[in-house]
This record gives sequence, structure tokens and C-alpha cells, in this order.
Amino acid sequence: MSKRIMVVDDSRLVRVQLADLLEGTDYEIAAYCRSGEEAIAQYDEVNPDLVTMDIIMHGMDGLEASKIILKEHPDAKIVMLSSLAYDDTYEKAKEVGAKGFVDKPFHREQLLKVLGEVFC
Amino acid sequence: MNNVMTKERLVQILDQAVQDVTECTAGVRLFQGGQPPENDLCTIQITFDKGFRTSLTLCADTRLLYRMACNSFHEESVSPEDLEEFSKEYFNVLCGRVAGAMFRATRIPAHFGPPVFYRGSYEPKGCEIQFVLTYRNEYSEGAQLIHHVPCSDGDGVISNEE
Repeated sequence: MSKRIMVVDDSRLVRVQLADLLEGTDYEIAAYCRSGEEAIAQYDEVNPDLVTMDIIMHGMDGLEASKIILKEHPDAKIVMLSSLAYDDTYEKAKEVGAKGFVDKPFHREQLLKVLGEVFC
Repeated sequence: MNNVMTKERLVQILDQAVQDVTECTAGVRLFQGGQPPENDLCTIQITFDKGFRTSLTLCADTRLLYRMACNSFHEESVSPEDLEEFSKEYFNVLCGRVAGAMFRATRIPAHFGPPVFYRGSYEPKGCEIQFVLTYRNEYSEGAQLIHHVPCSDGDGVISNEE
């Protein structure tokens, strides 16, 4: 059975890119949220297997949104997707409880490797 | 940015980010040189609000951004909204790549706000240009990456303010 992913990113381009990269895999995009606030509001209804979370967004950023989702849903699996690919950001992502980190721009191999590790 | 490293090193970091991200995100190769873009322009701007008090601005031919957006969305044409979406995400990724390279070089974590998109040319207020990198693609569509610093910090002073 496919793993259902909730994509949180303020760019439609990211949704298109992820849909391309995940085509033919065991993952499907179940919902798309354009902000951290929207993700928090929709999490219960969507009940995803995994959340991909951008960091820099208008309004609440992805780190703050992840913190709130994990407070309410400690078992939530969140992977950060960000262009801020360096140690300081990795540490912050770990601190809030993210299970992985994928650098932008995406590469299919890295994306599938990180998603696979989350479900190991 | 450039009181913690030479201008040459900073130019190298910015140029590498432009080349890599443009090719990876949009399948377009850019080459340094040529004339600045002139007519139908779009501008995307990002301000660094932690780590480095500076901003980066990309001023590009709309045709170039349109070509890149079509490639990224895998479509023959894109709407003005998608052009803006693409431009902002592309520049966000580019600046992320720059921030990562700067962190590896200086150990100073940088943070920047969401990109802002303008139709036409735009120059941030209260800033002065430190240097400009000019690019062309194979169709002579151009872009300029402009490094600004606040007028009062003409030397690009680092701020470690949270």
C-alpha cells in the first residue's frame, strides 16, 4: 500500500517536482498545503504517513509548524525539504524532531533514500 | 559578506550557485558576460536577516525566466502566476545554496526571508551595489545577480543578531 505524503511548501513548483519524482514509487501525495498554518489545520483530517516540510515560508516557518504538529502528534513523521542545506539547519531540524532532511534542488535518489530511511 | 572573505571567493561562490542551480532546476546553462538585460525585465530579491546584512537581487529578461519556468513545469507555456512561483522558488534555492557555501566557509549561519518578485527592475531602498555578475544563455537572454549591502555598512559588516 502506498505511503501517503502531505506536502507543505509555498511553491507549486515543488508540488510538480515531487509528483514527478515520486511517480511509480510507493509514495503518493495525499495533500498539499501552502503554509505551516494550513498544515497544522489539515493534519488531523489528512492523517498522512509522512509530511515533507519546507522551512522558509510566508507566515509560520517550517520549523515552527513541525514543532506544533509533533507536540500534538508525537508519532508524526516529518522530513524537511529546504535549500538551507548546512549543519546549522540540520541541527535545528533534528532539534524539532524531523526524521530527515532533503536538500533543494531535489535529486530523486536522495529523496527516495531519505523517505525510505524514515520507514525503516 | 565580503569582509569575512575576499571578493574573489564570494564571486566564486555566487557564480557556482548560479550555474549549478540554474542547470539543475531549469535545465538552462548560463555563461558569464554579455550585456545587461534591458527591456522586458523581472526582478527577484532576497534579504539576509541573520548572519550577513546584505541582499541579493536577480534582474533577468522575462524571456529567460519564462524559458526556465516552462522547463521546470514541463509545459510549453506558463501563466504569469507560475512564472512568479518559479522565479521565487528558483531564487530561494539559489540563495540557500549561497548560504550553505558561506556557512562552510565562515561557520556563520545565515538566514533570509521569503523572496519578493517584481515585474520590471527594482532596486532595494537604503542599499548600495557592491558588485554585479552578468549572465547570458545561448539565446542571448540575460540576467544580472546583484550583491547589495546597506548604505551605512558599505563594507558588508557581519551581523550575528538573532
